Amino acid sequence: MAKENETPIIETRDLTIRFGGHVAVDHVSMAVNPFVLKSIIGPNGAGKTTLFNLLTGQYKPTEGKVFLKGEDITRLGIADRTRLGMGRSFQLTNIFPLLSVLENVRVAIQAREGVGLNFWRNYLHFSAYEDEAYEILKEVLLDDKWAKPASDLTHGEQRKLEIAILLSLKPEILFLDEPTAGMSQEEVPAILVILERLKDSRDRTMLLVEHKMDMIMTLSDTIAVLQDGRLIADGDPEEIYQSEAVQAAYLGGGVKGE
Amino acid sequence: MAEKTPVQLFHLEDKRKRYRRSDFYLRIGVLGLLFLIPFLFPSYKTVDLAMKIVIYAVLVASFDIMLGYTGILSFGHGMFFGIGAYSVAFLIGKYGDPSYFNLMLGMAIALLAAAALAVIISFLSLRVKAIFFAMITLAIAELAIVLATKLSGFTGGEDGISLSMPGIFAVSFSAGEFLGIEITGRVFTYYLILLSCLGLFIVMLRFTHSPLGRVLQAIRDNEQRAEALGYKTFIFQGISITFGCVMAALVGGLYAMWVGYVNPESCLGVFEIMLAVLLMCIIGGMGTLYGGIVGAAFYLITETFLPDLQHLARDFFPNALFLHNVLERWSLVLGVLFILIVIFFPKGVIGSVRDYLARGSR
Repeated sequence: MAKENETPIIETRDLTIRFGGHVAVDHVSMAVNPFVLKSIIGPNGAGKTTLFNLLTGQYKPTEGKVFLKGEDITRLGIADRTRLGMGRSFQLTNIFPLLSVLENVRVAIQAREGVGLNFWRNYLHFSAYEDEAYEILKEVLLDDKWAKPASDLTHGEQRKLEIAILLSLKPEILFLDEPTAGMSQEEVPAILVILERLKDSRDRTMLLVEHKMDMIMTLSDTIAVLQDGRLIADGDPEEIYQSEAVQAAYLGGGVKGE
Repeated sequence: MAEKTPVQLFHLEDKRKRYRRSDFYLRIGVLGLLFLIPFLFPSYKTVDLAMKIVIYAVLVASFDIMLGYTGILSFGHGMFFGIGAYSVAFLIGKYGDPSYFNLMLGMAIALLAAAALAVIISFLSLRVKAIFFAMITLAIAELAIVLATKLSGFTGGEDGISLSMPGIFAVSFSAGEFLGIEITGRVFTYYLILLSCLGLFIVMLRFTHSPLGRVLQAIRDNEQRAEALGYKTFIFQGISITFGCVMAALVGGLYAMWVGYVNPESCLGVFEIMLAVLLMCIIGGMGTLYGGIVGAAFYLITETFLPDLQHLARDFFPNALFLHNVLERWSLVLGVLFILIVIFFPKGVIGSVRDYLARGSR
């Protein structure tokens, strides 16, 4: 899949951010090839979410650059990066609680299509959006809940809905920040199925921050390991599994491995 | 085409049942009643009450666009109502003769003045959130009352402005008798206002059911998320405020036509109008539009007939002193009724009934 000479879709060079004296991300240079699922792992406080924030524009780096398809996007804001095809899900659930499940997705499709300022036509006139929203709900296995208000969903289902909202924006690159955070053990497999399906369709690049090691090992094409803001290893799951540096980091950090 | 999805089936079913549902008949019934009122109950008091219910229902609906659909609490809504009322009063009362043209011009000025002021207010104060926006609009509304009172040369001050309607809408006009009722200019004015209010209400229904209306509801639910989807929430909130305020000004113009007199207290008063509108909106149900009709009807009917209740009590139970004491303070009874409604219909009458019906059908 990932060929050596391919242009990376996302690339960072010496990416660094300091908060006061604390260096949260420290000269990270890595590349992600198109249509790959790359996981970013590391002990708590290693800078995974901060790295995400730098990539999607929530933070601006103190030093270093971010490239999207070879273009320097370091200075672009969140909205601009969204328009360039970067879609992000958040660690904390972020949905429209009073709208129906279908409407949550439909309103996102409407945003993508840019008809939000139409104030005269009935919204049902744009029935193609509803059909598409329903198809996306099918993809994340929520189609039977379409008519419910989003606040009626379980936590796990709300996470799925969030992925559905994200997919409806049709991003080229998906940034998933701990999609299973706060989920019960019974809910995790459903998300896993969704992520596997998205990966198997091979039509978008995915970046994943996760803690569940078994999940990362089965899903990832490549894995980057962060410790104290530094990139200590970057390779396919087999390499990472063997790597002594990684084992030292996890054992030394004394953090939940499995 | 492939087989229908459950969503499409739901809409088809909904369309099929459209003319068989009870709420459809309820709407037709209420509308029919309002059209027949001048003939069924021709007394001044009933016609006046019906007209005020219609006017306030549409005013509450315009307030609901901001509060219920967009999540913006403004205390300036009464002021926009007053702007409309004064525009019409200026044109056919103080500064112009009653003519059809001046009447239309008054409504046009109401629309433009309200739109301009609403845009300015949204730009100046939308950056501040929630309670601060409410406070700023309250301050502006109070300022408007002071201006209307003090600039008495221009606005007539506390004495207000009397106005008379042109042509067939004039109080003195008579088109002879029909079904035993004298068709005066008041009857024509009643229908003019009823049809205008119906038009405004339909416009607001379309507005809330448009893609834009849907975005507003998403913003009310989760502003950050809506922004992350790519909606510029600031602009959408500004549109919502401007639209709601323009509607309020038009309703204000219609109100002036009906009562024939404007003064700062009855047209701009924060407590007289704003609190009544807020209560009506909460009683009827926020985010429903139709709630305005229920809220306005409940509020105005109880306000009109509770004082009568004490005369009734005096006639039928001359010795029940306690009852007399309570009913003499009828606004107390009104307060208790409000509390009961809020307890038993937490989402307002329309909202709670809809919830109940939805649960029943599942």
